[in-house]
Amino acid sequence: MAGSENRMPRHIVRLLLIFVIGGAVALAARYLFQDKSYGIYGTFRGDAVAELAADEPMYKGSGYCQSCHGEQHSEWSAGIHKVVLCETCHGAAEKHRSAKPAAAAALADLPTHPQIAAERQEHVKLAIPADSVKLCTLCHEKMPGRPAAQKQIEVSSHAGAQQCVVCHNPHSPKIAAAGAEQTGKPGDAAAGRKKAAACAACHGADGVSGNPEWPSLAGQQRGYLAGALLAYKDGTRRDPMMGAQAKGLSEADIGDLAAFYASASCKAAGSKSSAQLASAGKAKAAACANCHGAEGVSHNPAWPSLAGRQEAYLANALKAYQSGARQGPMMAALVKGLSDADIGQLAAYYASLNCK
Amino acid sequence: MKLKRQAFDPDRRRLLRFLGRVVTYASAMIASLGVFGRRGLAGAGPAFPATDYDWTKHRWGFGVDATRCIGCLRCVEACKTENGVARDAHHFRTWVERYVYLKGEKLPRVDSQADPGNIAASGSEKEYRFDNRYKDAKVEKAFFVPKLCNQCEHPPCVQVCPVGATFRTPDGVVLIDHDYCIGCQYCVQACPYGVRLFNQKYEVTDKCTWCYHRITRGLKPACVEACPVNARIFGDQNDPESPISKFIRENRVQVLKPSMGTSPNVFYVGIDKEIV
Repeated sequence: MAGSENRMPRHIVRLLLIFVIGGAVALAARYLFQDKSYGIYGTFRGDAVAELAADEPMYKGSGYCQSCHGEQHSEWSAGIHKVVLCETCHGAAEKHRSAKPAAAAALADLPTHPQIAAERQEHVKLAIPADSVKLCTLCHEKMPGRPAAQKQIEVSSHAGAQQCVVCHNPHSPKIAAAGAEQTGKPGDAAAGRKKAAACAACHGADGVSGNPEWPSLAGQQRGYLAGALLAYKDGTRRDPMMGAQAKGLSEADIGDLAAFYASASCKAAGSKSSAQLASAGKAKAAACANCHGAEGVSHNPAWPSLAGRQEAYLANALKAYQSGARQGPMMAALVKGLSDADIGQLAAYYASLNCK
Repeated sequence: MKLKRQAFDPDRRRLLRFLGRVVTYASAMIASLGVFGRRGLAGAGPAFPATDYDWTKHRWGFGVDATRCIGCLRCVEACKTENGVARDAHHFRTWVERYVYLKGEKLPRVDSQADPGNIAASGSEKEYRFDNRYKDAKVEKAFFVPKLCNQCEHPPCVQVCPVGATFRTPDGVVLIDHDYCIGCQYCVQACPYGVRLFNQKYEVTDKCTWCYHRITRGLKPACVEACPVNARIFGDQNDPESPISKFIRENRVQVLKPSMGTSPNVFYVGIDKEIV
């Protein structure tokens, strides 16, 4: 060791050399393998934040749908369902958009609704929900735990197995008692009696018609009567005779007339067809009963009672809905599948019932 | 002993040479350990790399009003779609629990999406609904409670990550870097609220991010957007007029498991003593 007086001992030099080499390797590894963005913001890979933030939103919001589906959007935004996103029922709009350019050709010859629901191509067409009972009851099935403010129904007793969309427009599901609301105040039955002279010629002195093609008005729902007169007046419901009659009526007149006939006591027209025909009609009336009542007496003032109305009138009304001569979204959908024989049986059944 | 004598040798030049070496080696070692590699703390670095979004200016917050929740699970559906969460009844970034106290029973009955009855009512594990099992029961009290990541101020899940794959952003969201995650699931164990889930396909952990890709674009999280009854409230706690600031101001809010010291940023209204 005498010669190494001026030098560091060899084992220390070796040790330091190992440290230096180790340090260099660590630095090189860090340079080669560590992400360049590590530590920019903190002890994590900085680029990860931008990567996570770069995901494309799937839910676009209802404003996004408006540009192409303006009609449905305005219907929806005016109704009570405006709190429910389009995408909550129809699915995320991003799927719709991202597939659009490539699928434009395929879209052109897609069958129209309602087949779309069954035959839609995924990621191309957003679904029009096929099973509205399953969809609507997600929110509206009566269930312990749901706050009372939430509109809830007993599914089994509300409408049986009937699809919700038969009666409710899903974009604006509230069913208004249309006529009753339109006429404003209830109307004066006594005043209505005085104004009813012109009606009596066809509909009978007390609203009980003697002609099988003209309906009895006595005991009919007030809202429905008012709504019908208003529809005749503004031309949304067409009939040469009623159009002319209703034109001269003020809204107050309409309210009074509706109140008078609603309060008049009805007399069933009865069916001249066989009891067999009527009982066949009863078997087919389940769908009607949801709105027009189990015994043909409606509980909603906007919907007409059918019990004891004229058989020919009822059959003609159903045919008019079928041909489009009479308009009504619910009825139009319901009569679509009816044959002439079905219509005959239904008319016979309701005509044979007692009115109230 | 010899070495010691040498080190204290009065020869000035030798001493200086030795000290010079020590400084050189030491600084090389320190540099190699990467101590200088840390370049400041979060927020001190460059601005968030998205246009017109400054993450130092926001402090996001989330509110849950359990008195409004109807248990329709449209939030769950929206979350699964928005974030590509596995379509089964066992992996959720957000979910809803149902608490039902029956007459004469002390403890609530609790069920959620993984419950076999609810899966059966849904038709498959790809869809989500609550069954109506308490329809005819004598119910004393019942309500729904949505659950999601609390985005804690002091997140235990971040603390335990061995690889720096999870972190809290300055705008108050705990995120996961799926590239760095090794799938060890320590964080799943550490979370007192059980909100972290494991993505079996990619073998990484996943969690609710309050839809970070949406909120940094000025949108609301998908679950908030989808909720039809405003049971979920979202906003910037820095803005006194935001929905969440109003929600906190106008209600007596509470957080889950405050004793954990995690300082959650999800504020609840209308939950019961049993809810944790």
